[in-house]
Amino acid sequence: MATETADKRSGGTGFWIILGALVVVNIVIALKFGSRDIALRHAPIVQLPNFLHFLGVPGAWMPAHVTFTWLIMAFLVLVAVLGTRALRPVPGPLQNLVEVAIEAFYGLLDQMIGKQGRQFLPLIGTAGLFILTSNLLGNIPGFQPPTANWNTTVALAVTVFLSYNYFGIRKHGLLNYLKHFCGPIRLLAPIMFIIEFIGHLARPVSLSIRLFGNIFGEESVIVILLSLAWLVMPYLIWLGIMLPLSLFTAIVQTFVFIMLSMVYIAGAVEEGHGEEHRH
Amino acid sequence: MPDEEPSVLRQLARLSTIGVSLVAATAIGWAIGYGLDRWLGTGPWLMLVFTLFGIAAGFLNLFRDVGMMGRGGPPGSKSKEK
Repeated sequence: MATETADKRSGGTGFWIILGALVVVNIVIALKFGSRDIALRHAPIVQLPNFLHFLGVPGAWMPAHVTFTWLIMAFLVLVAVLGTRALRPVPGPLQNLVEVAIEAFYGLLDQMIGKQGRQFLPLIGTAGLFILTSNLLGNIPGFQPPTANWNTTVALAVTVFLSYNYFGIRKHGLLNYLKHFCGPIRLLAPIMFIIEFIGHLARPVSLSIRLFGNIFGEESVIVILLSLAWLVMPYLIWLGIMLPLSLFTAIVQTFVFIMLSMVYIAGAVEEGHGEEHRH
Repeated sequence: MPDEEPSVLRQLARLSTIGVSLVAATAIGWAIGYGLDRWLGTGPWLMLVFTLFGIAAGFLNLFRDVGMMGRGGPPGSKSKEK
């Protein structure tokens, strides 16, 4: 795997600096506003009590979606470590699974970004696998998917937003990248810059709201149906309609998220910035 | 993955993005104008102007998405292939 692109990952020191700065900003915000009751939790009316809550594992000091994020992280890391621990020419079942996943991501990256797309596998692959696992987890009663909480999806979308801007700046340089915002006509450049700026800011908002809204709504419907399960009919509706539908939503929303991320990255690192004179 | 017609799933995925991004751009424009108004104390004017900018940005995104959809790929991906 990854023979010719192994030397150029989507990292680079700047990427890790951005990520580190994000973590620091998060901690500062949490320390500054945490005592003043920033709303880390949604209204609890439509959430099933999850099983960790019953066990009392994290305690009340940690919101449930963070705990489940850790759970999914642990699961993914475990699968990755077990799958790649002993690489064989004839892959075992787990290594086969990992290879199929990687190949699928490579195919998408090649298709959406082009021949320079494979260096973005760490970002896209991590986001895709995390979101997919999390969305599918929501179909099991007793588990609460982290992506049903806006905080998680905002974190993902902001990471994507900063990443694609960083990739664009790294590829073209700051001035050329900003020039791309101004459009082809010099007279309209200030107005175009503001419009493009707002359009770019809208991207993480729409990314995060779309994912959160879909999964949260789906969760809410499932919880309401299951809370009426003693009427038998809602249980049948859940089994017959909501379960296939939510499996479908889980996959489609994952696909939408990573596909849009790749479209944004492709727009940022594209050669010559041919986007504006195509319209 | 072979180069073929965009699948139904992909079309559906792309179509479902249009509504939210249109609204989000408008909301972002309004929020910027509102914040600037509160900061500078300039009546409702910046809010109106930036809301209009936001609507323009939303429609720009809309047209780009729809234009992209006909070709079934992001801008530039077709020309670079092979």
